Amino acid sequence: MPGQKLLEVSDSELTGDNTMGEVFFKRFTFNQLVEHWAMIGTFMLLVISGMPLKFPDAWWSPVIVNLLGGFEMRTLIHHTAGIGMVFLGVYHVVYHVFIDKESLLERNVWPTLKDVKDFWQTIQFYVGKAEHPKFGRYSWKEKFDYWGAFWGMVMLCVTGLVMMFPFVAMEYIPYAYVHLSTIIHTDEALLATLFIFIVHWWNVHYSPEVFPMSKAWITGNLSEEQMKHEHPLEYEEIMRQMDEKSEKITFNR
Amino acid sequence: MLSPAKNLYLLLKNKYVLILVLLISVFTSIGYAQEDVSCYHCHTKVVSEFRNNVHYQKGFTCADCHGGNDQSNASVISYNVMSGNFIGRPNRNNITNVCSKCHPVETNDYKMSIHWEQIKKGHPEAATCTDCHGIHEIRAISDPNSSSNHANSPATCAKCHSNKEMMSAWYYGIKTDRFDTYKESFHWRALDKGYTLVATCSDCHGNHNTKSHTDPASTTYLDNLPKTCGKEKCHPGVNFDAKIASGLVHDKESLHTGELVFNKSNLEPQMKDYYLGPFDLAYWIAIFFKILTTGVIGIFAGMVILDFFSRIKIHKRW
Repeated sequence: MPGQKLLEVSDSELTGDNTMGEVFFKRFTFNQLVEHWAMIGTFMLLVISGMPLKFPDAWWSPVIVNLLGGFEMRTLIHHTAGIGMVFLGVYHVVYHVFIDKESLLERNVWPTLKDVKDFWQTIQFYVGKAEHPKFGRYSWKEKFDYWGAFWGMVMLCVTGLVMMFPFVAMEYIPYAYVHLSTIIHTDEALLATLFIFIVHWWNVHYSPEVFPMSKAWITGNLSEEQMKHEHPLEYEEIMRQMDEKSEKITFNR
Repeated sequence: MLSPAKNLYLLLKNKYVLILVLLISVFTSIGYAQEDVSCYHCHTKVVSEFRNNVHYQKGFTCADCHGGNDQSNASVISYNVMSGNFIGRPNRNNITNVCSKCHPVETNDYKMSIHWEQIKKGHPEAATCTDCHGIHEIRAISDPNSSSNHANSPATCAKCHSNKEMMSAWYYGIKTDRFDTYKESFHWRALDKGYTLVATCSDCHGNHNTKSHTDPASTTYLDNLPKTCGKEKCHPGVNFDAKIASGLVHDKESLHTGELVFNKSNLEPQMKDYYLGPFDLAYWIAIFFKILTTGVIGIFAGMVILDFFSRIKIHKRW
């Protein structure tokens, strides 16, 4: 990955000290971290303000609406956070397609055949019949998370805007399609919510491996230990590249 | 031997007795105050209801609707009250005559409605003034407890329009799921949570002069929809093709329940082009998301569980 800072080495070069400091591997750029934080903020607001409408008869529905300050305030919160998420989605695509210099095809986020194999191997590992698969920069779980969110964002933003401006939409599409938007919007939102709260949070919060949480979402870094465990192929690749680039710095492998 | 006055004094010195005497005197005075109309002697419940009536608060009495003399007293109350122009309980066909004495404009509007049309056709059970506004407990429409208040309109209309026996007995073809399908709309979900600035039955269908949606003069007639939805306080400035934004709102919203209740055979030919595609699409998309959500969450939640148990078994993973 040319042009990308792969790891941060603390202090060693500055002090001229030969002993190594702790090595961190760059997982997310600051830009990606801010995108993720904005995503967390808008997503949580949207779930809290939206679910009382998806389940209007549930006992907690009026409770949440009242906690948010009434129905009008709920709608205002949902619309504001929704517009924020639309901007986030547009920014994400524009930045990573046009501003990020890395070639689109070379990115590690595209699904590959290896991911399908890894998926199967992971299940076999869970039942004790195989070794744990070795992941590269992004595991199949992370790719699924990303593309799931990507698909969800497209669906939710488009249908959300249709529902926010129904009469503008009706100048171009039949009312039936506006109605269709409510089905797609709420069902897709329910899927996204369940996925984030159950699967994503298991992977990054609850799993004993990372409990109470993986700090990568705050620092953007992974420790060498985590790197060896979670992304061994990428780790080997980085080490090989570093060896080629510089014979001066030596690492305690 | 104590004097009677002394005896009374001792009795009233007991605070419980004193309180009892005071309470009795308060209640009896209230009781007498309520007997400002002689009808109260027999029609206690009805007159009590009438105390909440906006007409009572403006100084009207029983006689203003029922006729007769409600200020008579003494032993021949009944005879004296039921004198002169006394009409008793008005026939359902004649209720409008009572109200029109003071509300001629509203009555004229009402006489253009499908409800009046049905009464004229010999279905006296069709809604008349009292069915929406109440009988003795008529409140001002601005009163949140009024049955004809904007926010209570769904419940008031549903009294009759959700009643299968009534709907099929009078006029075959009126659907009884109108309130249920309205409940699927954003309007109801907002109203249910206390936001009353949304459309209820009367905002789209009109109130006094409500008409069948097949009547070209109806506010819910296809060509009139842009005007109805585009009311100043609702969605001003809307500009949509009424043909593509049909008025069959209630039917579409039944789709949220996942069942296809829409009867396509009843569609007018020009409507079929607009609706059949999206309709089936909506049905299948609802099914698609059911399968997708169940599938994705099922597979991944299953893997979370497998992951959890594999950790117990292997203990140390790496």
